[in-house]
Amino acid sequence: MSDFLSFHTLSQILINGLLFGTMYGIAAIGVSLIFGTMQIIFIAQGSLIILAAYISFWLFLLLFIDPFLSILIIVPIFMLLGGGLYQVLFRKVAYAGKNPSLLIAFGFMIMLENLISLLWTPNTRAIKTSYTAYGIEMLGLQVSFTRLVAFVLAMLATVVVTFFLKRTLMGKAVRAASEDLGAATMIGIGTHWVNSITFSIGIGLAGLAGVATAMTFPFDPYFGFIFSLKALIAVAFGGIGSVWGALVGGILLGVIESLGFFFLSGVWADGISYVVFLLVLMLKPEGLFSGFKRIA
Amino acid sequence: MLILPMVVFAGLPFIVDSESSYLVFFLFVTFINITIVQGWNLVGGYAGQVSLGQHAFFGLGAYITAITWLRGLTGYFDPLAMILSGFGAAILAIGVGIPLLSKLRGDYFALGTLGLGEILRVIFTQGGTLTGGSVGLLLPSRVYESMKPYYFISLGLAVFATIAIYFIIKSHIGKALIATRDDEVAAEASGIHTLKYKVLAFSISAFLTGLGGSLQAYYLFHIHPAGFFSLKWALYPILMSIMGGAGTILGPVIGAFFLTGVFELVNIWLPEGHPIFSGGLIVVVMLFLPNGLIRLRLKRVIGKKGERRGDK
Repeated sequence: MSDFLSFHTLSQILINGLLFGTMYGIAAIGVSLIFGTMQIIFIAQGSLIILAAYISFWLFLLLFIDPFLSILIIVPIFMLLGGGLYQVLFRKVAYAGKNPSLLIAFGFMIMLENLISLLWTPNTRAIKTSYTAYGIEMLGLQVSFTRLVAFVLAMLATVVVTFFLKRTLMGKAVRAASEDLGAATMIGIGTHWVNSITFSIGIGLAGLAGVATAMTFPFDPYFGFIFSLKALIAVAFGGIGSVWGALVGGILLGVIESLGFFFLSGVWADGISYVVFLLVLMLKPEGLFSGFKRIA
Repeated sequence: MLILPMVVFAGLPFIVDSESSYLVFFLFVTFINITIVQGWNLVGGYAGQVSLGQHAFFGLGAYITAITWLRGLTGYFDPLAMILSGFGAAILAIGVGIPLLSKLRGDYFALGTLGLGEILRVIFTQGGTLTGGSVGLLLPSRVYESMKPYYFISLGLAVFATIAIYFIIKSHIGKALIATRDDEVAAEASGIHTLKYKVLAFSISAFLTGLGGSLQAYYLFHIHPAGFFSLKWALYPILMSIMGGAGTILGPVIGAFFLTGVFELVNIWLPEGHPIFSGGLIVVVMLFLPNGLIRLRLKRVIGKKGERRGDK
């Protein structure tokens, strides 16, 4: 047993889980933010991530733009797209209760998923750059260079989003609206405007997560739905509406899956994360870390 | 008013050749859809709890039918197998429903049911010889004789589902469900045990969906996880129910007829664009027709009355 599971193997599994989990985390932040202000589950997040991955794939293949550079193109486009999506799809039903917006997001996801598969075929794709196979040795552990960069990018993005929410006037408006919409409206915060900003940030993060995914993992059009589910699991772990909670929840999910893949076969590992998800929803729906959160 | 279409539907296989008629096949598909749409309508339309996991019950019903048949416990078109399929799904719904529905937030229910469907797909893909893995189970298709029994059983299920929902809604259960949907806190305060009624609605909806899955299993003779746990079976009932008018008795029937027709046409003319089209259709329906087809006429009448009274 000790041969089979040495300390070294275990740390390797944990670090892989951590790096993979940050992808879930960054997807979860977007979902969590949108949920915070609009109270809707934006289930199409994962499909938008995959869309970004395919765009980055095209930019690399057709225009020879390095995936790292394509972040500078894709993230601004996705932020605009996010604001636009809100205006076109969700503005009208923003006050019509949760079900219409949930169903619109669901329909949008199905549409997007199949549009992607029509445009890029359902085959699995991956970006292969000169540095994709490059690994770094850290404390005796093998760490893939691209995954490490993706991890750093995710951390940076989280810091930027936190800074925006805590320190800028716009961010404060977003937080105010997510805490008490009625009171925020009364002091002159336009809710459609706040929702647009939240969507911009959320979808912008989806763009970043998409490029990071394209760099590090093979992907196909139907991976988006799984990604959304994983993001929702991460949000459920971290507690809805919390930025760092979502990131930590994503990392936790990545580690659980990584352990699952090692000890069980692949498909069962997927099942494990859903079972943990259902258990969390049933037993502790306010999130695993809610005990530490100060009461707002 | 409703007797005439029933007579027409019941007599149809005797007029047209049921084996080659596309109409008979189309109606068979529509009737299965009505059965599962009415199931969603009860929990989503009347009780206001959006279930995104009806495919779990559809697939479970199909697998119960297939497994009991292959083990020799039941036979072809065995009412026992169909009832078992329904009850299996209902028991699963109760087990999952109690913890998920006891929260006031409906989102947890939507998410949890979505997770449930995915878990079931994993379990049945990994089920070994019992479920046949990702290839699934093959049923002895040589017993197939005619399309007629399928048609009549599906018609029976659709009528049963619609009438059952009608009587449930007329009873105190329906009143409790509607009160829960409209204002759960107020309903709770008026002494309604909302959790009990929500779980009851969810399990009845699972029962109907399981019945639909069972009949589909008898029709296809090949039960595999990708087909029977497809998100399609979660999506269609929601779409048809809302398109026709969720929270009405006949709205879902209209929605099922309309959308089954649209999907069949799209399938013939644009097979690749089918899912894009259905996804887009949900968006358009929710944006422009959130109350369903059946309420179009109602709304106009109410609107006119309102104008006359001088309401703004």
